[in-house]
Amino acid sequence: MKIISVENVVKCFPVGDGKFTALDHISLDFFTGEFAGLVGPSGSGKTTLLNIIGSLDKPSKGKAQVAGKDIEALTHKQAAQLRNHSIGFIFQVFNLLPVYTVFENVEFALLLQKKPWHERKKAVMDALEWVGLENMADKKISKLSGGESQRVAIARAMVKRPRIMLADEPSANLDAKNTHSIMETMKTLNQEFKTTFLFSTHDEKVMQYLDRIIHLEDGKVVKDEIITSRKEDF
Amino acid sequence: MPVLAIKLAYRNLVGAGLRTWLNVSVLSFAFVVIIFHNGLIDGWNQQARRDTIAWEYGFGHLLNKAYDPYDPFSLQDGHGILQTKMRQRLIPVLIQQGTLYPGGRMVPVLLKGIETDQEILKLPTKLFLKTDADIPALIGKRMARALKLKKGDRVLLRWRDKNATFDAANITIIGIFNNNVPTVDNGQIWIPIEKLWEMTGLSGHATLFIATNDYVHVPIPGWHFKDHDTLLAVLDNMIAMKKVGGSIIYFLLLALALLAIFDTQVLSVFRRQREIGTYIALGMTRLQVVALFSMEGAMNSLLATLVGSLYGIPLLFYFAKIGIGMPATADDMGISIAERIFPVYGAGLILGTIALVVISATIVSFLPAKKIAKMDPADALKGKIQ
Ligand SMILES: Nc1ncnc2c1ncn2[C@@H]1O[C@H](COP(=O)(O)OP(=O)(O)OP(=O)(O)O)[C@@H](O)[C@H]1O
Ligand SMILES: [Mg+2]
Repeated sequence: MKIISVENVVKCFPVGDGKFTALDHISLDFFTGEFAGLVGPSGSGKTTLLNIIGSLDKPSKGKAQVAGKDIEALTHKQAAQLRNHSIGFIFQVFNLLPVYTVFENVEFALLLQKKPWHERKKAVMDALEWVGLENMADKKISKLSGGESQRVAIARAMVKRPRIMLADEPSANLDAKNTHSIMETMKTLNQEFKTTFLFSTHDEKVMQYLDRIIHLEDGKVVKDEIITSRKEDF
Repeated sequence: MPVLAIKLAYRNLVGAGLRTWLNVSVLSFAFVVIIFHNGLIDGWNQQARRDTIAWEYGFGHLLNKAYDPYDPFSLQDGHGILQTKMRQRLIPVLIQQGTLYPGGRMVPVLLKGIETDQEILKLPTKLFLKTDADIPALIGKRMARALKLKKGDRVLLRWRDKNATFDAANITIIGIFNNNVPTVDNGQIWIPIEKLWEMTGLSGHATLFIATNDYVHVPIPGWHFKDHDTLLAVLDNMIAMKKVGGSIIYFLLLALALLAIFDTQVLSVFRRQREIGTYIALGMTRLQVVALFSMEGAMNSLLATLVGSLYGIPLLFYFAKIGIGMPATADDMGISIAERIFPVYGAGLILGTIALVVISATIVSFLPAKKIAKMDPADALKGKIQ
């Protein structure tokens, strides 16, 4: 099933008097359960594309359809709904909410969904188990290591069982051991829940795990390679 | 959403630690000071009304039309004999000018003749019944202090009778009364009205009458009636002015607290860009984030209410019980002021102050938070908005 469809997307940013084209007629399709990544030099447009797919930004031209929704046509409220229910984000700098505990961070999206307490509690504890942090629920974020922080971020994004996970350079602040460990966790979740993962990365260690690598350069797709034969799933 | 916003705002605010408690302390202090100051003035107002009624106003004054309380020259002709059925329910007071010569000085005074058996005013006129002095006189503590007079002193008084002929005699100070009402004290000498009638030849005349509680006013030619409220309006006005004067201080204090909150808010909208981006990525709408940040700021005032009542309630109750000692100079203001004033805190004052603080804190929190609505979440996540 096609879950993300990007069609001739152009994204321009105003710079000075003119404008800068960060994405230049990008067309890409992703299917449920893919474990794909955007790679390319700094400034090639990886984050910009992830932001559009994540409905944090809108294309200047072209169409992006995500989980059945037309990104360019969404209101603020509809975009928030889409993110709240269908998209999980993982960031390079973790972006955990510092004054909350591990549990409260993971619980957040469910609070927004107005899920009752017993449902939230079960879902949060499950998610913490997936990432191996079930004993750290009450810890303060400031007490966590980088690897643990990124695991909390994965649990927070996965707790609502999103259809799509967007991970922007998730390993940039992690050492090799932690990178392998989170990639394995995410790969497991990908297989277990058929969640579509889309990464942006420079990191060879991350690329090892990917089934599909899309090379961007100057806002254009220069290469789109399928690594392993997971075609039967598409 | 409101419940969630309150919950999240509370977590954020308490999580923010020192800065929050600093804001909350200043705000709660402003709170307590506002309530204390207003309570003090209200307590003063109540005391002044009570004392002025008890010592001077009774249940209203019936004044001779020719008499103007603000014009001493009107005393000469501003009196008369009153013919009315209500006469039994009125206490006559005759006021005349005189000059006193205590210790070689010459002091102009008001001679006030009053019925010896009156009970409507607190003036101790019963003392007149227990003396055989030729001209017995009562004076207040301020007058006694000013003229250095003691009980039992005899002083020469000069006055004019109805034919404008000067007369002089010694009066005897038979009592000095303690009171909080300068307007029955400063420059005044109280003597039995029969004596004053005899001295001036104005038998049966009165300048004004003090109404008793069962007095019912019907218009009487040549006289006009001033009820309680009319008489007290002057007092109320003067006290209202004091209130405004004192308010400036606490508005400054409040402004300071609000400025601190505003500053915190501006700073947090700027510093917490990534967090704002994260909220949006997690599925909050921008308006929800604006509401969350406004709520955080507004919650400063709720915490301040809480903290303020923690130390404020015992403190304010304590002062309401023991009162506040007033400096002696406060006596010169011409309004009744007791040596101790007991603040009173009405529900209106307390609720009004809470509303004032909460609403203003919400406004100063909302203004910076409004910026969030215009933020680009992608930029916010990069933390690069200027
Ligand atoms: N808000 C913006 N305003 C102006 N230019 C922008 C903005 N966002 C991105 N750009 C530009 O668009 C280009 C692509 O940026 P993007 O962040 O997508 O690159 P990237 O591939 O993620 O790079 P990196 O690997 O360094 O994260 C860059 O040249 C960047 O400077
Ligand atoms: Mg990037």
